[in-house]
Amino acid sequence: MRTLQPLAVATAIASLTMAGCSTFAGTAQTPATPESVVSHYSDLALATYEDALTTAQRLDTAVDALLDNPTEQTLASAKQAWLAARVPYQQSEVFRFGNAVVDDWEGQLNAWPLDEGLIDYVETTHYQYELGNEGASANLVANSQLTVGGEALTVNTFTPQVLADLNEIGGSEANVATGYHAIEFLLWGQDLNGFDAGNGNRPATDYATGNDCTNGNCDRRRAYLDAATDLLVDDLEWMTDQWSPEMAGNYRASLVADDATTGLQKMLFGMGSLSLGELAGERMKVALEANSPEDEHDCFSDNTHNSHYYNGLGVVNVYTGTYQTIDGKLVEGPSLSDLVAADQPELDTTLRQQLETSMTALGAIKSAAEAPSNPMAFDQMIEPGNQAGSTLVNTAIQSLVAQTYSIEQVAQTVGVNDLQPDDAGHAF
Amino acid sequence: MRHAFSQALIIGALLGTQPLSVALAESNEPAEQQARALWHQQIAAGYQALSTSAQRLSDTATRYCETPNDNTRQLLVSHWREAFFDWQAVRFVDFGPIELDSRAWQLQFWPDPKNLVGTKARQLLSSDTPIDRQRVTDSGVAAEGFPMLEYLLFDEPFNQTEQALPDGRGCALLLATATIVEDNTTQLATDWQALAEHYQATDSYSATTVRSAMTALDILVHKRLGEPMGLGSSQRRLVYAGDAWRSGQSIAAAEASLSGLQRYFLPGLIRKLEQADQRGIADDLTDQFQTTLARFDALPDDLASVLEDDQRYAQLQNLYIAVQQLEQTLELQAAVALGIRQGFNSNDGD
Repeated sequence: MRTLQPLAVATAIASLTMAGCSTFAGTAQTPATPESVVSHYSDLALATYEDALTTAQRLDTAVDALLDNPTEQTLASAKQAWLAARVPYQQSEVFRFGNAVVDDWEGQLNAWPLDEGLIDYVETTHYQYELGNEGASANLVANSQLTVGGEALTVNTFTPQVLADLNEIGGSEANVATGYHAIEFLLWGQDLNGFDAGNGNRPATDYATGNDCTNGNCDRRRAYLDAATDLLVDDLEWMTDQWSPEMAGNYRASLVADDATTGLQKMLFGMGSLSLGELAGERMKVALEANSPEDEHDCFSDNTHNSHYYNGLGVVNVYTGTYQTIDGKLVEGPSLSDLVAADQPELDTTLRQQLETSMTALGAIKSAAEAPSNPMAFDQMIEPGNQAGSTLVNTAIQSLVAQTYSIEQVAQTVGVNDLQPDDAGHAF
Repeated sequence: MRHAFSQALIIGALLGTQPLSVALAESNEPAEQQARALWHQQIAAGYQALSTSAQRLSDTATRYCETPNDNTRQLLVSHWREAFFDWQAVRFVDFGPIELDSRAWQLQFWPDPKNLVGTKARQLLSSDTPIDRQRVTDSGVAAEGFPMLEYLLFDEPFNQTEQALPDGRGCALLLATATIVEDNTTQLATDWQALAEHYQATDSYSATTVRSAMTALDILVHKRLGEPMGLGSSQRRLVYAGDAWRSGQSIAAAEASLSGLQRYFLPGLIRKLEQADQRGIADDLTDQFQTTLARFDALPDDLASVLEDDQRYAQLQNLYIAVQQLEQTLELQAAVALGIRQGFNSNDGD
């Protein structure tokens, strides 16, 4: 389990603080040109997805161990594997916006928020589902027959393909049948603590066989979890292949063959969209201003602080051309930062400082949530009247807003005039 | 609870440090100020109208709770609509004092796919704690605005319960929320006036104002119309994805927003385009606003009946296309001619 990844954090901060005084080792060898920067961006994506795949495979193994011998210990190990899997995946989200190949694919992996009553039992007084979602209380684990959107379905077995077909059933994005958050719910269960401390508390016996089974239908629940983790691995294998330099005709091939400005645009669009609209907006401001735990990102596990932190680090990675692998290796090369520094060093320094400020703010949220005594999870930070909590979240929002302004300036500097995503010709 | 986020933004705005702004291609000081003076004046009128109608709504709420009968109820519904539409008309302004304390969300928390408004209402109504202004503001932005009033007036399941208006707790929530809306809109109008000098003196506000209209049209096309029509993230037609579905006013609210853009935004833009020798684009936009607004004549106020009827849905599609074309004219012709481009905005997430 690598909860803190101190090396990665230290490296990210160190590379940020090098602003204006040095260049990265990789850049010294490969001059930064728009083409080399886009090519290295693909290397970063590959390294990040490779780690996401590796950690998903470990999660799959840990889940198999849980299903072989369902104990609190094997359940805890599976949870730890899930937490570790989030570290690279959340860093990969910066590749999502702008790259249609990722955006079209990611709904099967990280769709959120979900109406978990689609999947398994819920405590209804604490369950608020999407308005008009007919699948919100389908409980696939308990029921093999369901009707959604006027369509009657029979689901006798769970396989990766069956789950993929069920995802977003009835046209509702809240019908999340697959991916990290479905697995998170299956491992943790509903968080019934509201604004109080504590996360989901699913017993390992929910996966027991025979008479030890709790909450019913353990066989179907076991099959569901098994299929969901298998599908996660399959999906990440596919995405890793898309960024491989050794696979002809994949997404990477089309990206690097395209005009380099198109690639730079995708990089910047990903950085800006994740910083502002998604992380600062959807994932933090909505939850905070509406005091809504329903809008917490990792609401079952209370791992939201890490999801936000590693989202932020993903933006840093793309700008600085660096990625710290789960094995501690530093991937580095020509970066956007190099391009900007050559032309407008002050802007580069400003953005680097802003990125550092954001990571400090996101790090403060993470530290508060992981404090040895009196930890404050994200769902506690957003409680009405929690001034310390709202200050922590607001500081992060403000810093992400600030860095987005500079990302727009960078777009102008490197000749990207249109920040709308161009997905034409890149759909798979 | 008050948050520092928007305060920082507005302080930034007041100091003239809006880094999002892109310098206009050419700056002609007096002409520049003319357009912004017009914008400021028009938006001030819109905010003032909102403040006045919100005050009337609050007064009517008091009257209704004192003397609940069919007449006062009808008046209350009518005044809710008028104030809500006045809000729709200025909803495009996403900069300046509206940013303070997330006032836009305080007035209308939306989108609300998980029905936070209903959840907050049930929490407030079911507890034993007295409902007052503080208790409502402590419940977060979903409890504080027009949608909460709409819930109390129109939510069908709620109106079947014993807590339905004019029950004591229901009325307490109605009065507290109406007072918050009144105070927020009054303060908004005052703060906008206070921004006058700075707004007019700061070139970058021209681009900011044009961008706010572009964003508003984008939200109108993709979120307020496209999502419930099944043209967005889902192919399913779903009335709940629109706004004001409880009152059956989704389409009427869209019309109020477009009409507000025509009244409060278009005149300043025309002035700017004329100064940039772009009379043709100004004329096109004027015509497009008129023809697009005329399309609402064929449609009812509500979305539900339109989504269920393919013939009416086709008329809604025509409107959708017209608004989309208007957005394109603004973004690809007017804004380009003025050297303004859209940047990231808070709607870029999913």
